[in-house]
Amino acid sequence: MATEESASVMDDYETLISTTDVELLKRAWRNEKAAPEILQFESSLVQRIKEQIELAEQNVEISEANNIDPLTVSLYQMDLDRTQFLLRSYLRVRLQKIEKYLFYVLKTDEYLNRLSKQEQMFARRCTDDLGSHLDETVLAKLPDNYQSILKQSITSEEDDMVPVPRLDTFVICKAKQYLSGLDFEPEYSMEITEMERDLLTFVCYKFIKKPLENGKIDLV
Amino acid sequence: MANYYDIDSILVEEEFVPVVFQKAINGVKIDESTEKGYVEQGSKTQLPFWLAHELHMRQAVSIGVPACFNQKTRLEIQADAACVDLRSRCPYFYEFGCKLAPLCDKSIGLLLAYAFRIRYKEVLHKAHTTAFAAASRFLMLLTKEETYMYEAAQSSMAAFKKWRMGGPRLQRASILGRKRKPAE
Amino acid sequence: MAGQSDSTMSLFSSEEIEFMAEDEMVEIVPNLRMDSLNFICGDYGPFYPQLAAQVPIWLALALKKRGKCTIRLPQWMSIENLTQVLEAERDSHAFQPLPFHYVEISRLLFDLAREDIPDMYMVRSLIEDIRDVRFHKVETNLEKFTASTVTWKNMSAMEVNVIRAFAGRALQAFYKHDNEQQTPDTDRTLDKQPQIPTDRPKRNLKPR
Repeated sequence: MATEESASVMDDYETLISTTDVELLKRAWRNEKAAPEILQFESSLVQRIKEQIELAEQNVEISEANNIDPLTVSLYQMDLDRTQFLLRSYLRVRLQKIEKYLFYVLKTDEYLNRLSKQEQMFARRCTDDLGSHLDETVLAKLPDNYQSILKQSITSEEDDMVPVPRLDTFVICKAKQYLSGLDFEPEYSMEITEMERDLLTFVCYKFIKKPLENGKIDLV
Repeated sequence: MANYYDIDSILVEEEFVPVVFQKAINGVKIDESTEKGYVEQGSKTQLPFWLAHELHMRQAVSIGVPACFNQKTRLEIQADAACVDLRSRCPYFYEFGCKLAPLCDKSIGLLLAYAFRIRYKEVLHKAHTTAFAAASRFLMLLTKEETYMYEAAQSSMAAFKKWRMGGPRLQRASILGRKRKPAE
Repeated sequence: MAGQSDSTMSLFSSEEIEFMAEDEMVEIVPNLRMDSLNFICGDYGPFYPQLAAQVPIWLALALKKRGKCTIRLPQWMSIENLTQVLEAERDSHAFQPLPFHYVEISRLLFDLAREDIPDMYMVRSLIEDIRDVRFHKVETNLEKFTASTVTWKNMSAMEVNVIRAFAGRALQAFYKHDNEQQTPDTDRTLDKQPQIPTDRPKRNLKPR
């Protein structure tokens, strides 16, 4: 047992030191794309990537100016393009999710805290714009009790007009290490008791929410 | 509540159900021929689900089993579920059944699960192997949910085949690379 | 909201899967001398003529396109290996171990590094056969779906992607049907208490 554990610890350590930022960004992008709800913004990762992109852009400009071999320059440009694609796609997927669940994100602290400062600003501006648009076109013309954008009528017990992310969608995932029952929420202990490492699994998203947040699972 | 803007959710609730009034109701009439606005206890009529549900919550009506889940349909499904034209019974057969089951007849749930399990296999095969033209008659029998499933499979397959043929790979859009000022 | 509903948001296009596959490593034999490349995604090189090196496929193809290297066929793509894999696929219900991105890698190499593949047509036809047998297994496995968690060993990226949309919907439907017999429709659990608003205007009920 001891040797197995230390072997897997070594695996993890090696993975940690050899995983580049691009790999991490790719992972974050994949997870974000596959998950039905918005995930935690990887602010330090994004910051580092942005800095590396800027550096690379400057390098390319300087190289072009100094007539460095065009082949080399074009290869650096390709690497730059690939990284930029990942970053842009990552940010774009998040924005799409925010737009889709606009009101819910703003009123749920759990989700609001997962957004970056700029995303929060975006969300607020969107709700203001959308709110005033719906107000002008429809809501203000309805009778008094029905003018809310969140509740169908003032007698509704909760915000029944707000779309909610569906956590019961099925996703495909791989565990990075062996997961036992303890890694999952106890309320799902009947549904899922363990997960082997590196095995493709179709599973209901809400069952694996906890290990995903802990970084033990990757969505595919 | 999560589906306020979802067209399919709205349409599901437009399906009609038979109801029996448990109380006498003033101020409305269900039969155009009567003069006064009054419904007697025990009267029967068909109401859209959204309305029947609300009244059921107030214990004003009891909800019966609509035609699409009746004995005849059940027998047909048991005989050969894959060939039953569920779309003409009710295009939202499953969604409607799910909403209805807790209110009037829990066995509807079992019927839905059974029918789905069998028809799913048909959809699976037709979606991944047959060309669209050949399957079009089959498609006419499918409910909305089954149709979405079929279309999902078809479009995935088509996208894959298109990729396999080769073609333009991911390219840099020409608009990128120009810096924009951040909006305040 | 109505305008932005995009259920395809969670789907990966084949091109995106290929993009990820392009990061897989492959061996090249450069015919030029080049200093190390310090990319954002990692460091590669320096390159010496005739000395084999490991680089990501996108880099290998870029160099190949400009005639600066040849690409060594990955070991798993040899005719002997593929023939063995094909036989094993045919004989067994399980999926044989193949690189996760085998479909994308082979297509990239066929399209852009044709000359470097001895007996290319043979290799290609073996891979197509393997893919067909495996996809048939995918369908057979899909038939056995139930509401519970499903695991698949050795399935590849492209195979997973092709059935992702369909399988997701199917599993969700199974889950819903198998569970709604235990729990009532959750949409309504919250307004179980009858609401009797006093100031709602009366309306006439019109039957059809």
